[in-house]
Amino acid sequence: MENIIEINHLTWQYNDTDHPALKDVSLKIQEGEFIGVCGPNEAGKTTLVSCIKGLIPHNLLGSYKGEVKLFGKDVKALSAKELAKYVGFVFADPEAQFTSMSVEEELAFGMENIGIERDEIDRKIQWAADITGLGNLLDKSPYDISGGQKQRVAIASVLAMQPKIMILDEPTSMLDPFGKDSVFNICARMKAELNMTIIMVEHTLDRLARLSDRLILVGEGKIRRFSEPKQFFEDVDELAELGLNPPSSILFLDKLKKAGLYHGEMKTTVEEVIQVAQSVCEKQRVIREARS
Amino acid sequence: MEGVHNKKMMKTLLALIPVKSPLYYFHPVTRLLLFIITGFIPLFINKPELNILFAALVMLLFIYSRVSLSSLKIYLPVIICAGIFTFLTFIFFPGDDSNNQAIGHLFSITIYDRPIMDACIAYSKILALLLSSIFYFSTNRERDILAALRTLKVPFVVSYVLGLSLRSAGMFLEDLHTVREAEQARGLDYSAMKFTEKVKLYSMYIIPLLSLALRRSDEISNALFVKGYAIKGSGKRADYILSKYNFTVVDIISCIALILLLILIVYFKYSYHLFDSDQSIFRYFLK
Amino acid sequence: MTTKTVTNVWKLNEGEIRIPQTNHVIMMALFIGIGVVVGTFGSLAVPVGFVSAFWPGQAIQSVGCIWFGMWGGIASIVFPMISNAIAGSASIAVSLAYVPGNFLQGMMAGWAFRLFKCDPRLKGGKDWAVFTVFGVIICNAIGAGWGVMVLRMFGLISPSSTLTVFLGWAIGNAVPSFILGAILLKFVSPLILKSKSFCKKYWA
Repeated sequence: MENIIEINHLTWQYNDTDHPALKDVSLKIQEGEFIGVCGPNEAGKTTLVSCIKGLIPHNLLGSYKGEVKLFGKDVKALSAKELAKYVGFVFADPEAQFTSMSVEEELAFGMENIGIERDEIDRKIQWAADITGLGNLLDKSPYDISGGQKQRVAIASVLAMQPKIMILDEPTSMLDPFGKDSVFNICARMKAELNMTIIMVEHTLDRLARLSDRLILVGEGKIRRFSEPKQFFEDVDELAELGLNPPSSILFLDKLKKAGLYHGEMKTTVEEVIQVAQSVCEKQRVIREARS
Repeated sequence: MEGVHNKKMMKTLLALIPVKSPLYYFHPVTRLLLFIITGFIPLFINKPELNILFAALVMLLFIYSRVSLSSLKIYLPVIICAGIFTFLTFIFFPGDDSNNQAIGHLFSITIYDRPIMDACIAYSKILALLLSSIFYFSTNRERDILAALRTLKVPFVVSYVLGLSLRSAGMFLEDLHTVREAEQARGLDYSAMKFTEKVKLYSMYIIPLLSLALRRSDEISNALFVKGYAIKGSGKRADYILSKYNFTVVDIISCIALILLLILIVYFKYSYHLFDSDQSIFRYFLK
Repeated sequence: MTTKTVTNVWKLNEGEIRIPQTNHVIMMALFIGIGVVVGTFGSLAVPVGFVSAFWPGQAIQSVGCIWFGMWGGIASIVFPMISNAIAGSASIAVSLAYVPGNFLQGMMAGWAFRLFKCDPRLKGGKDWAVFTVFGVIICNAIGAGWGVMVLRMFGLISPSSTLTVFLGWAIGNAVPSFILGAILLKFVSPLILKSKSFCKKYWA
């Protein structure tokens, strides 16, 4: 697989701050991967994805060292339009990203900017609305719908532009459980059906772990871990120290490991954990029978 | 009878209007032109009765467009106060015109015919202009205004700024509402406040509103950037919104008629003094 | 004895480059929105026809031009047109005729603060004096003078009431202009000075 995102020794410090938000970060992400990003507050997660999108250094003030390359091109040299074709970005607060007064116009806005023709825009609006379940909301104002619907509009407006990379920065942080579900379901559908590289910053590790091919742990402006979920959750204690809540399945397996009942690798899906639990029970039953 | 509430309504800048209002057969450009032309016509007419007729026509347009006339209620104080103010300035400051004829007394002040006539002219103009302005904003949404401007090839950044301004005015009112609700929840009683305290309180509201504006400006500029918009070098845009409107033969005829109407009024005013106040029935009554 | 450090907020730091950005345009649009709310509220609260009196929108004009330079100047022109139309306090033709007056009414303070290097946070006597003279008295005199001229031109006030209307307009607007302007400068300037939208020069 080709590395479509390359970050080399990136250091970024916002103006009027004492410390860099990112310190000498290097990272490579391959095409088609689903990358989960987690970490405590103020760790540098949003800064990291803002650098990939090019918001840093194009739209935010500060000092920048190192380089970020998208498809081999330095983001500093790319225009807003070129960056929009490569990378879509969904913010935590859906209302913060609305630029239009109807859902339909909101979906069209980005496509107009990158020079797509009207007929094509119309077709892509229907396509994105279908994926995100917004078909009956196109005439509404994006401000007059529920939180979950707003975030789906935000995702659809980026999806319609069909970028090669999709970044979602804590898209569920302002949503109720139902809204969170709908966003994760869309992400799962994007992963399954679209050939898109997805980077999702998220606090809900349970759902994130199940979707991600690899997970990044960001702490104090550095990449602390970058690995597949099974390896990522080997050391649960450090995650807990950072204030993160590992998935309950992982905590369960961690307890089994610490009790000496399980020695295998970490599992992230419920089905896998049930299998582990069944095998542990079976072993215990065999041991008890052998003793009696 | 089909009640207003049974119809599908949509929110314009000042009122609620049925989605199927006959006014929407017209393109936003035609509606904008109607707003501009009706914003000029009364200024050329010095016969109060014609301006009152004009105002009555605008009221008929309200009815034709199915705008609920109750939305005009908030303008009643404006209409009444503007009238009182206009008449008082002309009564108290009649000028030294030797042709002025006394027609009565108000307390110890002599009232003259010409200043009252001038007050009638000024007030009838204000009334007509005010109604035509309210009509436009009661029947058009931000989207319609933007569609009109973009059809007229106004640069995108200009129409975007205008649209965002109108939208942000609504957002600030919502923010203000939130701040006031929070104050009331914490026991603030507006009715118990003195006038000076109220003035101070209202002035202080602007502080959180501006702080929010600062945050929003960062958020919106980031949102524009991530969606590929840059003020410089944006290039040609498809203007998808325009695909929702058709400029029909009816619009062409309407626009030509409106422009012709204005031209004719200006022509007859300056060539034949057709709209001067000399022949006004108001002057006849005052005499 | 303590000495007060005087900082010149208008001076560019070494190597500092300031160019107009999207952020300035967005802030201008939002500021127009604030102006529309304040202006419409003022016009509806004190409805005296096409004449302006006790109009708090003037404070928004002066303060906007101090903070955002020409962007504030453009906002000073645009928001009265919208708020006049919504409040019914001037027709499109009258609003267009007000444009030069509104621009000068706002820019006076912006120009004076930059010229005399005053601090928008109103930290000293000079700042207060320049704000009062240019941001309240002179700008309102210019605005009222222009406005009265326009109303005379359209025949909306009587010739002999011109001076009275002028004085009522200028003094009437100066009061909220001073109160609201001072509150904004004193309490909001510290935030604005740190923001990307603040303009040290006229455009950035």
